[in-house]
Amino acid sequence: MAYTAEISRNNPSCFLFLIDQSGSMGDNFTGEVAKKKADGVADAINKLLQNLVIRCAKEEGVRDYFHVGVIGYGTNVGPGFGGSLVGKELAPISEIANSPARIEERTKKVDDGAGGLVDQKVKFPIWFEPTFSGGTPMCQALNNAKGVLQRWLGQHPNSFPPAVIHITDGESTDGDPSQAMSDLKALSSNDGGVLLFNLHISSNPNAQSTAFPDSSANLPDQYSKLLFEGASVLTPFMRNVAAEHNFSLSDGARCFVLNADLVLVIQALDIGTRPSNLR
Amino acid sequence: MFFLSDVLWAQKAGNPEEEYEDAFWPRIGVSGESRTELSVAVADGATEASFAGVWARQLVRAYCRGILNSNNLRDSLLKKQRAWARFVERKPLPWYAEEKVRNGAFSTILGFSMRDGDGTKSSGSWDAFAVGDSCVVQIRDEAPLTSFPLSNAAEFTNNPFLLGSKPEANVGIDSQTKTQTGTWQSGDKFYLMTDALAAWFFREAENSQAPWRALRDLDTDELPFRPWLDNLRDTHQMRNDDVTLYRIDID
Repeated sequence: MAYTAEISRNNPSCFLFLIDQSGSMGDNFTGEVAKKKADGVADAINKLLQNLVIRCAKEEGVRDYFHVGVIGYGTNVGPGFGGSLVGKELAPISEIANSPARIEERTKKVDDGAGGLVDQKVKFPIWFEPTFSGGTPMCQALNNAKGVLQRWLGQHPNSFPPAVIHITDGESTDGDPSQAMSDLKALSSNDGGVLLFNLHISSNPNAQSTAFPDSSANLPDQYSKLLFEGASVLTPFMRNVAAEHNFSLSDGARCFVLNADLVLVIQALDIGTRPSNLR
Repeated sequence: MFFLSDVLWAQKAGNPEEEYEDAFWPRIGVSGESRTELSVAVADGATEASFAGVWARQLVRAYCRGILNSNNLRDSLLKKQRAWARFVERKPLPWYAEEKVRNGAFSTILGFSMRDGDGTKSSGSWDAFAVGDSCVVQIRDEAPLTSFPLSNAAEFTNNPFLLGSKPEANVGIDSQTKTQTGTWQSGDKFYLMTDALAAWFFREAENSQAPWRALRDLDTDELPFRPWLDNLRDTHQMRNDDVTLYRIDID
């Protein structure tokens, strides 16, 4: 049965983030005046990397259950990590844990255990900085991701299949990306095909927020439809995680989110990256 | 009471022994005819937490020393929670370990105590208390008589309620604390198990098998423990998880 491989230090899995850094990512999120899409996406990626590191942390250190990479595309296409990870396509999660570009201190409200809330200072490591400029070379980025994962799968043939989380607001400026998405999903380990998540932050005024649809009928334009068609079908485990976020999904639900606000981006990332079978 | 007890345990396949995060107490099986009572406990520290094995060990020891039971759970937990915090704060931690520790550790607990009846060593009473999905089954005349706190395979989920090492994690603990009492007689056997083994046990029983025979015969020349366990894991009959089996065999 596919998507059941145990994720362990001897048999890690892989997450690859594919981030649109074109000029239009400097626009604000729909419905939010104060937050640029690029800033929100960078926050979400950093938060997710932090959660992944903490999930893999044990008393003796960080266990390498995952290899993680970020590819940015805009003026340039290439690895998107900052700090000492600059230029790395993929890094084991322990290396990511020990190499944030910097660590900010933020304040959050937490339950005090007696019915109240107290301020707590928490560390917020930064690996990925928001940038936005140039066009949207989506095909090149997808082909780049394919090369990275082909190499990784060659070394990890029995792994839980890698997941690619692709966040974009725009229209590809280097051709139709359909074939490149199909090629990416055609890569597989012995446990199943690569999973492709498309998170579309659309600028179309008719675009309604939509999460994990099973049909493209209500999508507003060809770009959304194209990203819907390119996205994988959610695995049963992912549907269970989605249910924890109060989504009730059909068997054909796709790994596709349209016009996500920041909360939905974070929820979608959790659904796409929650480990199912960690040892 | 006349009894023999022993414990069999194994870490997850592929992990080193020191990463075993179940716990049990007493550390070695005890037996005796001079005893009038016996307390044992098993616990299962949550894989996704850090310092969960430490927390699980603190809980089983506390139960067997009479510090932790269902009557004074909140107060006695506070002492253990402070002890856990002292342990994890004894040296500086990197940022991720600090964040992880902030979330606390989690563990099941299953405490089991038995004592002689009035004026007899061949029967008596027992009581048990549990939070989470570690289970005890009582076998009499080659058949299960009682199981606690769960009794079928479908009851095992990925997110049982667990005792947290942080006070704020234990909201709702009173409704999640289960207790049970019963009686024992000569010839009875009790098996305390953490979840992977207990789920296998109930599944086998539901399929008209007699898994108590395997548990009885384990660790003999005919049925060595590790090969038996490896086979169940390799054939996906048992989830790859830490396994603990505490056996009490009453003469």
